[in-house]
Amino acid sequence: MRQRRPAHPGSARRRRHAGLALALAVVILGACGCGGSDKSGPAAATETGAPGGMTVTITARTVPKVGTVLVTSQDLVLYVFAPDHHRAITCKGTCLGTWPPLMLPSGSKLAAGAGVKRGLLGSDRDPSGGRVVTYAGWPLYTYTGDVDPGQATGQNLNLNGGLWYVIRPSGLPLIPRS
Amino acid sequence: MLLSGGGLVAGAAAASAGWALSTQPAAPPDPAVIPPDDDLMREHGVLKRVLLCYREMISRVQAGEPLDAQDLHDAALIIHDYIEGFHEGLEEGYVFPRLVQAGRLASTVTTLLVQHARGRVITQFLLAGATAKGVASPGGPARLAAAMQAFDRMYEPHEAREDTVVFPAFRQILPAAELTDLGQYFAELQHQEFGTNEFAAVVARVASIEQNLGIYDLAQFTPQVSQYIPSP
Repeated sequence: MRQRRPAHPGSARRRRHAGLALALAVVILGACGCGGSDKSGPAAATETGAPGGMTVTITARTVPKVGTVLVTSQDLVLYVFAPDHHRAITCKGTCLGTWPPLMLPSGSKLAAGAGVKRGLLGSDRDPSGGRVVTYAGWPLYTYTGDVDPGQATGQNLNLNGGLWYVIRPSGLPLIPRS
Repeated sequence: MLLSGGGLVAGAAAASAGWALSTQPAAPPDPAVIPPDDDLMREHGVLKRVLLCYREMISRVQAGEPLDAQDLHDAALIIHDYIEGFHEGLEEGYVFPRLVQAGRLASTVTTLLVQHARGRVITQFLLAGATAKGVASPGGPARLAAAMQAFDRMYEPHEAREDTVVFPAFRQILPAAELTDLGQYFAELQHQEFGTNEFAAVVARVASIEQNLGIYDLAQFTPQVSQYIPSP
């Protein structure tokens, strides 16, 4: 699974940061195993038969307080951003620091894990570069506040210009009744 | 925990970082742009001043005095918009990952991330409660004061640790050229997200709340000390 940290639009020197951010985005997933976790070993982004290809897998998991929702291969809960209107990525700048989009590296494939509808998986061009995984048209993000797998601390959070929701395998965000 | 696993993907990402390393020389640094860690520390100054506003409001509630919904809302909104919606995004996007990559302060970073998340929950609670109805409801002011107290108690040590340990460590691991570049980028991001004179505008907003609360005058906090001077 690939997440991206904020990219810098514009000049060449900013591309240096974009690549660094891209590297760091995943490093924060891959640092030393400090603290407890029920997951061990490397991330579940697996090699496909295609030379140099990877697979980005989205699965469904039951998470406390929110029920069955989409997660990454590392069981990190995925969110959608209401202002995206399941059409386009609007989280940019510092928003990306807190809500890294789930990236689809060039040459990679998408896979639907158990409970996930393959027909709803897709990708969108990210204005900051690369492609972001989408589901039912919604760009998908993780939340830096979820420091352990199976957490959904970003659910219904109003931050960076809008509301954030977990998303069901049906493709519907979990929007609380007002 | 988030910080476990991912070695395969990290390697792939690191390989992809190579393409982005520009060989073009960076533009001459703008002397008006401050280093990223200094920038983050002055943003902490905004946070500190809001914490002081919260402390004053807590004292008033504990003294049985009314809580002003507008002052509370304005203060919490600064936290929401500027600290949580901007400052923390810089830390989470640019500071913490680099430290973790360097094998530094991973456990501290995790704690800081959790505290950011908890703080956002408290801010949402304060914003929701900072209404005329909310501060007039039975028990409302006490609940809001308790939330502010929890927020203060967490963020005072949080920012102190960042200022004294996290940011110095970040400065140590980042090459000078990248520090300069990042400082400029932080300034550009702030300009994009808040417009011109952004920092001064936020400071003015805090000052206005302080004036409403009667805590703007710095001199009032100067104590008498004659009682602490030993007798000759």
